[in-house]
Amino acid sequence: MKSYILNFSAKVEQAIRELPQEEIGRALNILQAVYERDGRIYVFGNGGSLALATHWVADFNKTVFSQNLGHSRQRFQTIRVPTTEEELTAWANDVGYDYVFSGPLENYLQDSDAVIAISSSGNSINVIKAVELARSRHVPVIALSGFDGGILNTLADAKVLVATDKGEYGVVESVHGVVLHLMTQYFKDYFKHLDTLEAERSVTIA
Amino acid sequence: MIVVRAPMRISFVGGGTDLPDFYRRSPGAVISTAIDKFVFVVINRTPLIDKVSARYSISETVDHASELQHTRIRAALMDLGIDTGLEIASFASLPAKTGIGSSSSFSVALMKGLNAYLGKNIGPREAAEAASRLEIELVGEPIGKQDQYAAAFGGFNVFRFQADGSVDVEPVLLDYRKRLALEQHMVVFFTGITRFASTVLGEQKANIDKTFSTLQDMAAMVPEFKLRLEDGDFEAIARMLHEGWLRKKGLASGVSSSLIDCLYETAMRAGAWGGKVLGAGGGGCLMFLAPPDRREHVRKAVWDVVRTANLPDFKDIPVRFVQSGAEALYQHSDFATKL
Repeated sequence: MKSYILNFSAKVEQAIRELPQEEIGRALNILQAVYERDGRIYVFGNGGSLALATHWVADFNKTVFSQNLGHSRQRFQTIRVPTTEEELTAWANDVGYDYVFSGPLENYLQDSDAVIAISSSGNSINVIKAVELARSRHVPVIALSGFDGGILNTLADAKVLVATDKGEYGVVESVHGVVLHLMTQYFKDYFKHLDTLEAERSVTIA
Repeated sequence: MIVVRAPMRISFVGGGTDLPDFYRRSPGAVISTAIDKFVFVVINRTPLIDKVSARYSISETVDHASELQHTRIRAALMDLGIDTGLEIASFASLPAKTGIGSSSSFSVALMKGLNAYLGKNIGPREAAEAASRLEIELVGEPIGKQDQYAAAFGGFNVFRFQADGSVDVEPVLLDYRKRLALEQHMVVFFTGITRFASTVLGEQKANIDKTFSTLQDMAAMVPEFKLRLEDGDFEAIARMLHEGWLRKKGLASGVSSSLIDCLYETAMRAGAWGGKVLGAGGGGCLMFLAPPDRREHVRKAVWDVVRTANLPDFKDIPVRFVQSGAEALYQHSDFATKL
């Protein structure tokens, strides 16, 4: 039993060690630019990836500013696509499963936005269709993919590939969770740091 | 109605190596960052008014694009085949000719906006190339491409200018701590002395044979500057700025003046590690890096000299770095035109 547990943990550890740091840096810069222009971040994926997307949106929207919720600072807007199960099933039933992300996204997407696409295989057609829509409008794409990255990795501006053997969904999704938490933590720390600097400045002025 | 904005920029090292007379013979490289000073271009479709209006420091309204006085708006509209039925206005957080790239930021915003007006969404590379073509080929300004790329891409970048005219863009990835720490080491002034970059760059271009090896040295400093910046070694990059400034002064007679030299030396004596004149020189802005606890001292020392000199428009310019590049902030399709 122990060796089974260690074996899985070792795969996750290795995937974390091999994370593409530069690409995660690019992803953070894309999010920073969206914040500066008051755009929105749309995030989507299938199954466990959709669960990661929803979890991230909940964390990000609430905790990034939780240090100082009363502060008048401009906020981030992150949104899971589609926003409701009703919308998801309506697109799937009436138009086709390939359009469950691109269909709703087309209603929302503005030039000032960015998207985060999550797909372990990197080949989910509905995810690719939404990414193609974003690309056609020059909206920056952050891709969280696994295995060999698939088509998704080639289409992205920030290529966060968790390279594993094919089919290692558990490892890939676990590490995607780590990357998403890193993004949340980064902006949480960033705004906290800004608050500290502002407090120091007001002390100096006083 | 379309609203586009593009940031201005601070270039650290390598300016001048983005001129074709240089990079056609030896690879050019510039390291720069976008800052929180923007040029906004607003384009409004007026299908019921057969006029073209351009509103900038003056306002002009004519029947056809070819009659406009504004050289770049005129050239851009004629090139894109837009003749009449629109208004173009520009707004900026700083005056023109300050040396931080505002004229190219305008061109990038204009080209992104006019392409959107024609229903074409262009990305940063296309916007940078369209603006470069407008300024260099259509208007014939003797300038390089670094400003157009800095405005289009945003953030900290190394731009490499290849002999075939292509430009490689390599982002410099700084986390928020380093970015904010660098801001706290910076002191920027606008001298109030304005000049057309093309005047100094024209001389620099004419001198290119004499200054070729100096420019090669400056391009060669870029990778080291990038590494030191990523390490957060601000003293080292300040020393490199100082070295770059001394070299740049040798490029053309208009790069510095006795007054600028005096202000520069004052800041250095007051504790600055290094600095430079921003832009092609001859005026514009002065930037220094200093230990945060010496910043106020540097500022006061420089202001003491300014009060004795004839510099009525001298200003402190607070600067923050931005990741934003050229962006369409607002686009509203004109339903009326489709009825």
